[in-house]
Amino acid sequence: MNDNMLTMRNLKVVFPSNAGMIRAVEGIDLDIRKGECVAVVGESGCGKSVTSLAVMKLLNSPPALMRVDELRLDDEELKDYSETKMQSIRGQHISIIFQDAMTALNPVMTVGRQVDEMFLRHNDISKKEARKRTLEALELVGVPEAKSRANNFPHQLSGGMRQRVLIAMAFACMPKLIIADEPTTALDVTIQAQVLEVLRGMQQKHDVSLMLITHDLSVVSNVADTVYVMYSGKIVEKASVRDLFKTPHHPYSYGLLASVPKLSDTKHQFVQIPDSVPHPLRKPSGCYFHPRCRYATEQCKKEMPPLERFDNGREVRCYHPLNVTDTELQS
Amino acid sequence: MSENENRDRPIIDMRNVSVDFPVKGPIPFMPKKKVRAVTDVSLTIDYGETFGIVGESGCGKSTLANAMIGMVKPTAGDVLFKDVDLFKLKRKEFKRIRRDMQMIFQDPYSSLNPRFNVYQLISEPMFIRGGVSDEDMKARVVELLELVGLSDDDLYRHPSDFSGGQRQRIGIARAISLNPDFLVCDEPVSALDVSVHAQILNLLVEIQSKLKLTYVFISHNLAVVKNVCDNMIVMYLGKVMESGSAESIFRNPKHPYTHALLSAVLDVDIENRKERVVLKGDIPSPIDPPKGCRFWKRCPFAMTGCKDKPAELLDIEPNHAVACHLVNDVFTDAEKDAGLNQPIEDHAEGLLGTHGKK
Repeated sequence: MNDNMLTMRNLKVVFPSNAGMIRAVEGIDLDIRKGECVAVVGESGCGKSVTSLAVMKLLNSPPALMRVDELRLDDEELKDYSETKMQSIRGQHISIIFQDAMTALNPVMTVGRQVDEMFLRHNDISKKEARKRTLEALELVGVPEAKSRANNFPHQLSGGMRQRVLIAMAFACMPKLIIADEPTTALDVTIQAQVLEVLRGMQQKHDVSLMLITHDLSVVSNVADTVYVMYSGKIVEKASVRDLFKTPHHPYSYGLLASVPKLSDTKHQFVQIPDSVPHPLRKPSGCYFHPRCRYATEQCKKEMPPLERFDNGREVRCYHPLNVTDTELQS
Repeated sequence: MSENENRDRPIIDMRNVSVDFPVKGPIPFMPKKKVRAVTDVSLTIDYGETFGIVGESGCGKSTLANAMIGMVKPTAGDVLFKDVDLFKLKRKEFKRIRRDMQMIFQDPYSSLNPRFNVYQLISEPMFIRGGVSDEDMKARVVELLELVGLSDDDLYRHPSDFSGGQRQRIGIARAISLNPDFLVCDEPVSALDVSVHAQILNLLVEIQSKLKLTYVFISHNLAVVKNVCDNMIVMYLGKVMESGSAESIFRNPKHPYTHALLSAVLDVDIENRKERVVLKGDIPSPIDPPKGCRFWKRCPFAMTGCKDKPAELLDIEPNHAVACHLVNDVFTDAEKDAGLNQPIEDHAEGLLGTHGKK
């Protein structure tokens, strides 16, 4: 027995295109412990959503080609599972909360029936029993008047309510792992705070593992325990939230954190990272971040730095990490 | 640009502007309903300042900005741009004055025509105005490209060759190509990558100081507004809840809604995290906004009197006004005797949740 809920080793995903291979994910290791909330942070195109779909084995192949050395959920190896077998895993053991609730829900089915489906698919129960559980699930995520809401269609609900319905669906069968792909990006600030509160509350109450995919560092700082920072398909830094926000080691993490405007700031110039994310077909040589990096040397231009591991569990892919303490260096 | 330019007068002066949109009912000939997008907003914007409009989606901030540049005709009230009433102008005059106001859009993926190259995109406003030779136009486009941080190699490339940040730069170059005085930035960075936000914001600030522009900055990101704006308004359901200098609003937020907005902002600062107050409930429909104070249904401090009496914007200190009965203490003694300043029973519970420390 181990205490890892999800163990993923060396995930690679490529999309062949006419112009060449788009290497979306280039060898990612991911560990999520039981009851832990892990955030994967990165900008658009860095491969974070592809990673989340790969964990669910939801990538369409073709076009996507996926290879993974190990994909273990609890003690189950999912790597060689067939599509039929995966269907019984999805929803019951892993479930996903998508970004845009309006497109994730079926517009011509009442939300109640859509949640019912979760129970009916994975349990041998009557429709009546399923609806009873649906109402419980909706109440749990804070949908007021669940009974009448269940008979509403998605367009009759507000954005925050729709997102709650998705959360209810994800938690319906009490899965072991929940993937939340940008769960609050499409919402207003006040609603975003509500939804995050619900998500975090449910996760802690039922002790499930949560994998949070986001580009919003402020969400990460409020919800996650451990953070993986991704850049151009590779992990550049892994650290606990506290460590990452206090002493980011990778220049990219440092730049990202510094460039977020803060309420505590006084008026001044924004700290900026020059240039933008490289095109997936035109990735630079050596370290992918070197054209944007202030500390880049000749070595960075030639070789991709390895993901170095420190004793305290942090990992950094950089030849010249910042703010490294002496104790970390000795390891 | 125009002859009646007087930099001491405000560039925009809106007086009691309301915008309603009719909605079709389910049954024909039924009394038409109206979406009350903006209700009774008055504001002035001075030359060279950055004016922020903050609020949740559907609160009317984009409609208000559109009314400023004459894209939406207000159902009531006047909009004066450089002391000229935009909606009393003849079509031709309006077209001329519109050159002085431009807009930067939110989504650089849909605001640039994918079939145009960069040169065509940026020169289009000049082309429409006419009277510029091809060489001058090209020189001007190159100059603009350099100003926004692109190079003349990019001249004949198409939008699809550029990243989001670069596209937004093209959008900015296009907006300033006719030397406007007034620029509306409608969520200029919210569709962009996080690491590019700062670049575009810095560029906007730099261009403003170079060209002496006046900005209206629409955003839901309070941290950005705090760092960019001089004056601002906080809107809720089409009404101004709080207005004044950004500095005083952030230092001393008075309205319960401003408080809630500020407290909902997730800060990356994990060292000094404060207890957060989270508003429950959703923004009501603007078709049938609550009577009285627009915010009372979600306000944790709502009093009996808030249900019926609309809150008016009153000054609490120089350049800082709040529309709240509680803050302004507006009830007369007679009304107080009638119990109008008593909290509504069984109202506050269920409205607030605290999002505590981790």
